[in-house]
Amino acid sequence: MMHHQPALHLLCSGGGIDVIFTLQGDPSLFVASAASQLLVHMLTLSVESETTKPLSTKDCDWPACAQMIIKRIEDSLQSSSASHIEQSLKLLTSLFGSCRATWTEVLWLGVAKQIESFLTEETVQLQHMLANLLLNMAWSPVFRDTEGSFWALVTSALEHLTPVQAGPLAVGILRLYKCPQDVRIQALTVLLQPMDCILRAASQPLEYAGLLDESVSDPITVESLLSSRSSCANLLCQTLAHLEQLLSLSRLPVDLPYTSLLRSLMTILQFCNGFLSPASPLGSTISRILINCFRVQRSALDVVAALSERKGSDTLIGSLFDLLLAYLESPNTSPTVLKKTFQATSKWLVRLQELSCSNSQGQQTEKILEDVFLVLQKRLCSPCWEVRDSSLEFLTVLIKCLRDQDEFRQSLLSSEVPRLTENLLEDPESYVRASAVTAVGHLAFITYFAPESPVVGNQYNKENTVAKLQEILSTDPEGFPRRAVISIFIKWLRQGCTGQLEDTEQFVSRVIQTVEHDLDWEVRLGGLELIEVFCSQTICQLGLPQCPYAPVSSAVTSSIHWNESLQVFCRAKLFSFLFRSLCDCDKPVGQRACDVLLGLKSDFYPVSTPEGSQGTGDSAVGQGIAWLQRTLRQGSLAQNFPTDGSNGVDFQDPENMMLALGAVELEELHDELNRSSDHVEKSPQSLLQDILATVGTIEENEADCY
Amino acid sequence: MVLPAALTALLTLVLSAALLQFCLKRRFPDFSYITQNGRLTDFLDCVIISHFHLDHCGALPYFSEMVGYDGPIYMTHPTKAICPILLEDYRKITVDKKGETNFFTSQMIKDCMKKVVAVHLHQTVQVDEELEIKAYYAGHVLGAAMFQIKVGCESVVYTGDYNMTPDRHLGAAWIDKCRPDLLISESTYATTIRDSKRCRERDFLKKVHETVERGGKVLIPVFALGRAQELCILLETFWERMNLKAPIYFSTGLTEKANHYYKLFITWTNQKIRKTFVQRNMFEFKHIKAFDRAFADNPGPMVVFATPGMLHAGQSLQIFRKWAGNEKNMVIMPGYCVQGTVGHKILSGQRKLEMEGRQILEVKMQVEYMSFSAHADAKGIMQLIRQAEPRNVLLVHGEAKKMEFLKQKIEQEFHVSCYMPANGETTTIFTNPSIPVDISLGLLKRETAIGLLPDVKKPKLMHGTLIMKDNSFRLVSPEQALKELGLAEHQLRFTCRVHIQDPRKEHETVLRVYNHLKGVLKDYSVQHLPDGSITVESILIQATAHSEDQGTKVLLVSWTYQDEELGSYLTSLLKKGLPQSTS
Repeated sequence: MMHHQPALHLLCSGGGIDVIFTLQGDPSLFVASAASQLLVHMLTLSVESETTKPLSTKDCDWPACAQMIIKRIEDSLQSSSASHIEQSLKLLTSLFGSCRATWTEVLWLGVAKQIESFLTEETVQLQHMLANLLLNMAWSPVFRDTEGSFWALVTSALEHLTPVQAGPLAVGILRLYKCPQDVRIQALTVLLQPMDCILRAASQPLEYAGLLDESVSDPITVESLLSSRSSCANLLCQTLAHLEQLLSLSRLPVDLPYTSLLRSLMTILQFCNGFLSPASPLGSTISRILINCFRVQRSALDVVAALSERKGSDTLIGSLFDLLLAYLESPNTSPTVLKKTFQATSKWLVRLQELSCSNSQGQQTEKILEDVFLVLQKRLCSPCWEVRDSSLEFLTVLIKCLRDQDEFRQSLLSSEVPRLTENLLEDPESYVRASAVTAVGHLAFITYFAPESPVVGNQYNKENTVAKLQEILSTDPEGFPRRAVISIFIKWLRQGCTGQLEDTEQFVSRVIQTVEHDLDWEVRLGGLELIEVFCSQTICQLGLPQCPYAPVSSAVTSSIHWNESLQVFCRAKLFSFLFRSLCDCDKPVGQRACDVLLGLKSDFYPVSTPEGSQGTGDSAVGQGIAWLQRTLRQGSLAQNFPTDGSNGVDFQDPENMMLALGAVELEELHDELNRSSDHVEKSPQSLLQDILATVGTIEENEADCY
Repeated sequence: MVLPAALTALLTLVLSAALLQFCLKRRFPDFSYITQNGRLTDFLDCVIISHFHLDHCGALPYFSEMVGYDGPIYMTHPTKAICPILLEDYRKITVDKKGETNFFTSQMIKDCMKKVVAVHLHQTVQVDEELEIKAYYAGHVLGAAMFQIKVGCESVVYTGDYNMTPDRHLGAAWIDKCRPDLLISESTYATTIRDSKRCRERDFLKKVHETVERGGKVLIPVFALGRAQELCILLETFWERMNLKAPIYFSTGLTEKANHYYKLFITWTNQKIRKTFVQRNMFEFKHIKAFDRAFADNPGPMVVFATPGMLHAGQSLQIFRKWAGNEKNMVIMPGYCVQGTVGHKILSGQRKLEMEGRQILEVKMQVEYMSFSAHADAKGIMQLIRQAEPRNVLLVHGEAKKMEFLKQKIEQEFHVSCYMPANGETTTIFTNPSIPVDISLGLLKRETAIGLLPDVKKPKLMHGTLIMKDNSFRLVSPEQALKELGLAEHQLRFTCRVHIQDPRKEHETVLRVYNHLKGVLKDYSVQHLPDGSITVESILIQATAHSEDQGTKVLLVSWTYQDEELGSYLTSLLKKGLPQSTS
């Protein structure tokens, strides 16, 4: 209704505004928030539809409805009731968040003084709201581009609010593209202060430079928060989350002291596992509070990981790895913390490799890698499935990032890790089996698929591994491992690891016959993707003119080639799976199969569908095609789609398949399949039917969840 | 008095439990209402999942992997094992059938499950410094638990879904007399005193039997775990007793899976199953065989349990398609179906279904809905309240009208307040927590020196200074408090002027007052000082003549805060005037 002026007038004149204002205090937070939103809409509509000239602070210029609302806002801001003030602040926050018109500034001028005064009052709840309000204003060009007064208010807020309240404001300010540099520095100070305190608390005076210049920081509040059990972890977690957000920005508007920041993160992590017991009273208090605090550990490790992408903190890399390895080794590390440690370690290992390429840190790298694999060996045998799984995921990430590095390959292959990984293919936990499949699949890239494979013993037997994975694909009772196998096979095929065309044909054919009856539609979908890759590679190799990489060939050779490709596809029994999938009861499978067939059709009929392919006559082949068309029209209701040729369609005969590709209305099928499955359900008629049918039965059904 | 941090911890936690529900109907809850744009992890101390049903855990991966909650998640061991299967199923329906793309992935489900801390029954888990939780058996489904959440001496019990009567494979919910400040109970069957379970079971058996007798086929779509086992045990016993020959099948693969979980969590089943387990696994059936897809075309009667339970995909849907056209056949839906699924459509009476936008399927087979869900009925809810003895009750997970009726009953019978807030509504509940306070040895010694020895049965009033620091409370002597906090002492004195009619000289008036007080206050030290003032303990009395009326003397009485009682007694005494006889 708030797009129509008459509705607005009705509400305003009938006392509606009073009701809506009262509803802002409704016990239901949904109602309260909707009331607030409604007032914002009313105010915006009223101002924007009823004024023609720029507004001034004088009341007489504003439309009546807007005046009423503004008056109410001003009154409640001046009232002594905290909840009224809170409601008005909420309203202003969402107004400035949604409306960026210049009149909002005029409105602001009327309430600015009052709101400024809240900053210095000790009303905790309100101050939290002020940070939100200022942040929304900072995003609005109306306020952002003004000189002076607004930014002075922000600076004052950053000073007056407690570190916990000021944090979100500070990080929001730092994300702004346009903002005065001194405000940015002030905001950064807010974020860095807790980290600075940690650093100072842990070190002897003057041992390291702090993060902040002492003259700009007033650490008393932060120190008291950090030394209290109830607020320490909260403040640190919040600050760390904000720092991570900041580091995720591609372009930082301020310089961060990376080395000191990393040192302070390491200090926190050392506090948490009890490696550091500083002499200073503050330090020992904080270390007592933080010991075994998983929350802080997780947040700190996230920031450590994010820092790996920033140059400038490399001097500490040695001691950082000592710390990370200590975490990886410690039996006290919880599974969730361990996972974060793995993430941070993998990122820093990549950084380490970059560094060792540019200078001579080879030995250090080798030692670190050795240590990492030693720990990984232990972790792969953990009784806790979460740990085994995270370890495998870590291994996969490492292989993905570092498989081109000699040092890495050698350290990995000389460790027990590959053998243990293969053992985990038989893990009782399906998640772990799936991760093991992925890891083994990637390991293959550096063992037998590697062009200059390092000396490997008998244990890396390609046939063995492929057979094992195929066994998982055909027998594993859970979907995850089977899905993992099919996606590894796709990856291998894409990277050309499956050998010559003939071998690949046999491989694909075997896999397809395994997956076509799989109960998990995602496995079947994987099978179709495998076919897609195989088809494009085969056509590419045999050189159809459509392939941009193939040498241009004459019409004669090309026709021979498609024959060859088609023969390959028929031999591999792809078509029976593709056509059967068109009737699959899971829609994504049908869609994918249709896409693949359409692709093939465009390859084999580059110009248009051949004349006469629609009516193939009364021949056996023609009857077969007609049967196929009928069956496909039934869609997923087609019972037991026979693919054995008993209906006159030989799915392994190239001629038959060429005709089928031309005759079946794939485009039409494609459109049908792509319609949302609940398009019928969503139609008004169906809705009416649902409603009518549901009357009477609904009550019992609704009440009964299981 | 309430510790603010502790209260927040409690409330946010309960809130989260409530918000995770109902994700199925409305997709996902809008969590920004609780965070107010902040980070979820800053607002919540932990998340507790009571059991694996989707209306209790369906939004969990969204919550932890997409909204960004990074704190601990607690559930029982069976729930942790079974939850991902359901979530995976839920993801598949949504992504496959509805074409939803912005949904959690399998990887997210796994990552979420890795954050879960599994708990044992009756194990007290310390979430953080202040917060502890404890799980109690809830019946309902395998692994369902009620949770007691405790901060200091305040506690809340959140029941999740529970069942107070044992069934064929699960026991009844049980909780000790933990007297929580608040019991949050589900109230699905708030007014129903459920017709005897026997009745429903007989009904079910009768329908299955009749269909089989006339040569029809019965399809029972189920979720692999839960009610399916209950119904299997029921049919198995019936077949045995009636010596029936028609085959019963259960979806392939799933029997093994279900068996696996029941074997693994045998302690969660009821006593009978546990006892017989030593000789025989109750879930390995004589009459129920594994199903093969080719069996569906076999002629003659049969009963098939097939998954999934809402007929949205897979084997149950395939069989349904084959059998739907024959009026001799029957489908029995034993549970709730989500909107948009074939199950929901046929339950709401649709007889013509459009399958995947391709063909119309006419449903001629009989469609039956039989609820076998295991929720506590009104009697059960009352029984739980009697067991736990809460100080307040809050009803959720039910319909307003029915809840209102139950609320009145609870208030009448137990004389406790009962609330039933709507979703998003705030309820304030007052508690009377006892707050432990440490007392300094010095103060204790001093108190015992002047009074009797402490007696457990008689509460004793003690005076001292309360120092509240770092969430700890200590009572010390005022002197020690001043010393510790580095404060200087300020004396607070009260003064009062009393007018007395006395024409004599001032020093004579003073003397009269002195004698009078000495006579009345025999146990106190009353002194007449050389400067003409009188002291009684710390109380000082001085007399001056009234500036305008020499016949009136003004007595200035001043006393310290500590002697407040004596001071006010003295002023009231002086206000009465001096006795005539004193001279």
